[in-house]
This record gives sequence, structure tokens and C-alpha cells, in this order.
Amino acid sequence: MKVLAFGEIMDGGTSVFSSVAKVDADLLIISFGGSIRIDNPYRYLEQYLSELEQLLPHEKIGRIEFDFKELDFCNSNGFYIIMDISEMIIGSIGGPITVKRLKGDDWQQETLPILLNIDEPEIEDRITFEEFAGI
Amino acid sequence: MITQEELATTSISMRYDFSPKRNIIGDLSGLLGNFSDELIGAFYPRTVSKKANIVITELVNNAVVNSADGDSKITLEIMIDEHLLRIRVTNAAKRSQYRKVKDHIQMINSAGDLRQLLAETIRERRKDRLRGGLGLIRLAAENKFTLSTHYKAPYLVIDSQIGLGGLS
Repeated sequence: MKVLAFGEIMDGGTSVFSSVAKVDADLLIISFGGSIRIDNPYRYLEQYLSELEQLLPHEKIGRIEFDFKELDFCNSNGFYIIMDISEMIIGSIGGPITVKRLKGDDWQQETLPILLNIDEPEIEDRITFEEFAGI
Repeated sequence: MITQEELATTSISMRYDFSPKRNIIGDLSGLLGNFSDELIGAFYPRTVSKKANIVITELVNNAVVNSADGDSKITLEIMIDEHLLRIRVTNAAKRSQYRKVKDHIQMINSAGDLRQLLAETIRERRKDRLRGGLGLIRLAAENKFTLSTHYKAPYLVIDSQIGLGGLS
């Protein structure tokens, strides 16, 4: 497994959110952890997004896994960055998508599918949700 | 030995007043949201305390950002018992701001399909990278809170509540 890219949000000198993109054989794993609470997450994550855009075409990836289990909180300003990351990845890589999420978390159950654009039938067909009892 | 079911009948009420508003320079909404999450989570299931965290974070953040007077007060009131979780936030606002919030809440409360409203609003606002404007819809669509507002000059009050039947 190799780490492809890493992005984080710092607040008050501490890392409060991180996302890591890893490749394991033909599987791309994108994990999210911490909390997005700040007003403008792009300030910190724009470079991560552009690194992913540049690096992904060079990898032989056939499956995607998004792991949201460690993402404790996402404010509404964080929605767009989640959408940008997932849209770019889903649009540039084919194959099945697994989404790991928490069973008892309102935003992961109600809003996350909207951010992943699950209303599009071709995306819905590719996505499988794996539910975890984390809270 | 007290059971989880018994714990989740505990009545808790909290009230915080912050003034003057201009002195709020840190992440007050995050502090209050996380603290309340921990406190309520000590008695109620995490599904309930997380709801409180999100509502407090969104409403207090709105109050800090939109408060019309730096000398004024921001108030957060939280009440929970076995039946109900109620969160009320008060901040100084112009009557025109109140009318805007009132219209917005009326639109949310009259929406037939809240999920659809949330999805459309996210997509619409994303096009222009607009900040804000999602918080109240989110509280209703995602967290299933009932919202209401009233104006007691010069203060705007936003009330959010959810019945806990079946949640705790």
C-alpha cells in the first residue's frame, strides 16, 4: 500500500481534519477523519485536491473505497469539499465504490448520499454502503 | 445499578449568555457544540447528543455571524428530558433579518420533501460556492428538528426541537 496524497486542516496550531488517499493494488482508499468546522476548508485542501487530480491518472485503479467512519463532524461549508473530492474521483475512475459510514450519524446517513450524488442512477449502481456502529 | 434507559430520563437545562458579542473571537459554536455533546452524551445515546452538537454548532455560528450589534448578547438555551430536546438561540437582529429568517423557515416547514429541498439547495449553492444558507435546511432535513422563529426587538429567536420518542 502506498500513500498517494494527504490533506489536512489546521486550526489553532492543531490538525483538526485530515484526509489520506492510499493505493493498495487496484484499490484506491480515501479516508476522512476529524472535524470540518472552519468557514473555508478550501484554504487548506485545495492543494490536496489538485495533487489527487494530477496523480490519479497514473495509477491503475479499478475499485474505490471512501471511508467516513472517523469523520466526526462536517459543517455545511465542508459539504462542497467532500463533493469536489468524491466527484473528481468517481468521475475519473471506473469500477465499484464502497462507502464506509456510521449507522447512527445523521449527516452520514442523510446528507452524505446527496454529496456523493447518489441520485444519479449510474453512480447509485456503483455504490455499496457499509454501515458501522461507531457512535 | 442504573440502566441506560433510566439515565435517558434525566432532565438537563443549560443557559449561556455571551456579551458583548464583539468579544467572541474564537470557535464558540464548536466549543459549545462539543461540550454539550459530551454532557448530553453522559446521559443520553450518542445519536441524541450528536444531534445537539450539530444544531448548537449551526445556530450559534449563525448567531455570531449575523448578529447586528457588537454590544449585544448571544444566548443559547438547551433543554432535554426523556420526551424532548429543545435548543434555542437568541441574537440581536434587524427586523429585516428576522423577516428573511422567518420566510426561510416557513419555506422549510412547508416543503413536501425535505431531502429533495436539501439536495437542490446544496447543488444550487455549490455552483456559486455560496457560504451559509444550508444550516437551517440541514437541521430540518438531516437532523429532523422542527424550527420556528420569533422577534422580540431587537432580538431574533430561533427555536429548534425534536421529540425523543424512539431515539433514546
